[in-house]
Amino acid sequence: MSERFTKRWLGVTLSLIGVVAILWLAASGRLELYIHPRYVVFTAIMAIIGGAASIAAFLVVPLTDHDHDDNDDDEPRPGGRGAVLLRVSGSAVLVIAAVVALLVLPPATLSSATAANRDISSSSTLDSADSTHLVGGDSTSFTVKDWATLLHQGLGDDFFAGKPAHITGFLVATDDPDVVYVARFLVTCCAVDAQPLGVPVYLPGWQQNFAADDWVDVTGAFGLNPDATAAETVVLTAAKTDKIPVPAQPYVY
Amino acid sequence: MTLLGLARPEATARSLRTRSLVGGLILIAALVGIRVFAPSSSSVDLGHAAQDFVTLSLSVVVESLPFVFLGIVLSIFVQLWLPQSVLFRILPRTPVLRRSVLSLLGILLPVCECGNVPLSRGLMLRGLTIPEAMTFLVAAPIVNPITILTTYQAFGFDNGILVARIVGGFAMANLIGWLFSRAPNPDALLTRKFSAACTRAHHDDDDQHSHRWRRSITSFGEETTAMLPALFIGSAVAGLIQVAASRQLLVTLGSNPVWSVFVLMLLAFVVAVCSNVDAFFVLALGSTFMPGAVVAFLLFGPVIDVKMIALLRTTFTARTLVLLTVIVGLASATIGLAMNLV
Repeated sequence: MSERFTKRWLGVTLSLIGVVAILWLAASGRLELYIHPRYVVFTAIMAIIGGAASIAAFLVVPLTDHDHDDNDDDEPRPGGRGAVLLRVSGSAVLVIAAVVALLVLPPATLSSATAANRDISSSSTLDSADSTHLVGGDSTSFTVKDWATLLHQGLGDDFFAGKPAHITGFLVATDDPDVVYVARFLVTCCAVDAQPLGVPVYLPGWQQNFAADDWVDVTGAFGLNPDATAAETVVLTAAKTDKIPVPAQPYVY
Repeated sequence: MTLLGLARPEATARSLRTRSLVGGLILIAALVGIRVFAPSSSSVDLGHAAQDFVTLSLSVVVESLPFVFLGIVLSIFVQLWLPQSVLFRILPRTPVLRRSVLSLLGILLPVCECGNVPLSRGLMLRGLTIPEAMTFLVAAPIVNPITILTTYQAFGFDNGILVARIVGGFAMANLIGWLFSRAPNPDALLTRKFSAACTRAHHDDDDQHSHRWRRSITSFGEETTAMLPALFIGSAVAGLIQVAASRQLLVTLGSNPVWSVFVLMLLAFVVAVCSNVDAFFVLALGSTFMPGAVVAFLLFGPVIDVKMIALLRTTFTARTLVLLTVIVGLASATIGLAMNLV
């Protein structure tokens, strides 16, 4: 009975878990924590279609008492009661895990651990980025992505000297205790392909007021790193650093 | 009336349907309630690794689920609503030409790779041979307008990457179709469960037009039961690998003309990015890796990755998947190495 129930309802139950989670994320504006904004409408529409089909499945009753067993007639089912119990238990675990992951746990962005794993300091994401429109622009409106692009292009110390900046991102520790990255993830499709971009900020003693992953708003100006032997020669020297909540759109595109 | 049970008394059918619907609505209310009363973001701290594992896994689920639904809907349309005469009239009779036309079917049905699995199952249930469906399965994620457009946006005609992807995808799909058409017992390529479903579907051909809405909805339930456990487990594995493996280690091997090809194929297997946008992902690595490696990534990834293996396992035997992986891997590597070394 329980295996019959599993075969008939497992897919519909998992569909509904996914549909409820997607529509709730879309309604609360947090679907973009997982996918690029250009997929939000498509994803929501397909979730509605999937949800409607799942609800319709509840309206269909078997034509006969034996309808449930149609599949079993031709299909040798391996194992005895133990195997059946294993399949049913596995399905139950899957449903519970899906409920916990999709519905119980709060949505979250990727952390500084993933940024470090994907090597923020030498991200190749920006190798092909075009920075010509940034040169000569109003630098106070530049984002982390813009500054990271310019720094990656190696424009020289003179270009950055004294340029004011105002950026928002999360903190990622570096090997230098006086320098911390203010970072964002660049997403092209979904969080799986997120590439970290960071701006090195000179902020001695930052660990006393902040922790890695804290979101901050930094105002300051670029200049040479006081430590001439450091890997990051050009840094943003922070004049004002404020802790802020995670923004509604934490990724850049 | 098509939703009513024929062999049951009307009152029994109505009672069953009411109970089923009430049960469904209670389930939906419970799921919504769980979400509404779930803890806020500030009260849960899983730790970085566990939290990133969950976020990455959910990202694959949220990105793929709509395409799986779309693939299932198209699969049901092909199985139950598209007249068989229309489907088979447009296909040539010669196997080679027939597979060639099928490898272009993705132009009309531009479904992402995850959606192509249920669609291919639908094509087999509708009567296409296994090699024919495999040809479509391999070609469709690559030779389709969305993938071609995004690859063009990412690379233009630089280094022949776009042309190599389209031509390579077409050639690889037809090679696979031809090789599997030589199998002495094609049914042995399928799992016993899906093989039995095909046999049953072919026997039921005469009954295709009866209770079509009812059969469509039943098919949706059956296909989601087959696909979604695989999708959820595949997504979890993809998330786990992402957290556990250092991507930078792979990238540092990228400048070698031989290693770069295999490294990017391994990366494609690990990251499991949708074929419609994988060109943008690999564009970020374009200057680190050689063009042949990029092409190998763009040919291998749409067919073989951790999520696809889980989805394909619902239909094909493990032995078939090993063969498919080896052939796709060899074909992708050959094209990639030829571009790097010649």
